[in-house]
Amino acid sequence: MLPTYPTFTQSFMAGISVTTLSIFNKRKDVSYYEIGVFTDEWEPIPFVSQYTVIPMKYLDTVSFDIYVSHLSLDSVEYICSVSQLDLGATVSSKICSRVK
Amino acid sequence: MKKLLVAGLVLAVHIPAFAADTPIVGNVQTRCLITTDTNGVFGNPLPSKLSTASADGGVVPVVRYDVTLADAYLAKVTTPTAFSASPSLSDSVTWTGSTAVSKTSDAAMSGYEAAKVTYGSTTQFDLTKAGSTWFSSTATAVYGVSKSFPGGSYTAIVLAECIAK
Repeated sequence: MLPTYPTFTQSFMAGISVTTLSIFNKRKDVSYYEIGVFTDEWEPIPFVSQYTVIPMKYLDTVSFDIYVSHLSLDSVEYICSVSQLDLGATVSSKICSRVK
Repeated sequence: MKKLLVAGLVLAVHIPAFAADTPIVGNVQTRCLITTDTNGVFGNPLPSKLSTASADGGVVPVVRYDVTLADAYLAKVTTPTAFSASPSLSDSVTWTGSTAVSKTSDAAMSGYEAAKVTYGSTTQFDLTKAGSTWFSSTATAVYGVSKSFPGGSYTAIVLAECIAK
């Protein structure tokens, strides 16, 4: 997932910040990735995106925006993608970028 | 002679410059990739035991981490503590597991194994170098007190995480 250290900027809506990330799928046994935004204690933070679960083919790259309220912005620490496993897969993967 | 000099100067002014714009191009690469190198398989050496160890007839799952940014990520590998799919079980299952570095792309990564931190079923590695690292996890499940596992298909999940520092 890129970038490793995303930064938020003001979106076109007042009170809402946005950042853009992209995911690359290098796993043949995974067709969907779920996006999550978390605090430093791994508490989930509400966000809006084009996708919550992203359908991805093998070797596909998908870019997406994450919109977060200014009220939550200081609490955002991690933005993660978690693999949704196909039948038969035995390894779940989670990759997190960090907002510094 | 003066005319020749002036003509020479004029020509010099009109000589085209052959300098060309040299573009600099580059691709942004994903900084941390996780791929399944080998899917694990449980062996069933005893009626009450399922194990991925090769000595028990199993196959150890191997996960590969490709990191292109040094000293930016932690790798956390968690061995299973429950089945994600199994026949109905009426007794408790005791899980044990461990994760180790099985291969690296760079000799400078040799310290990863000694520096690993284990807590619960999770093993954490500090990926201080760019390159590829393979982690293998063994998992063992023992059913009740020498109780036989019911017949059927069993699946357990290894969680591989790559967290930016």
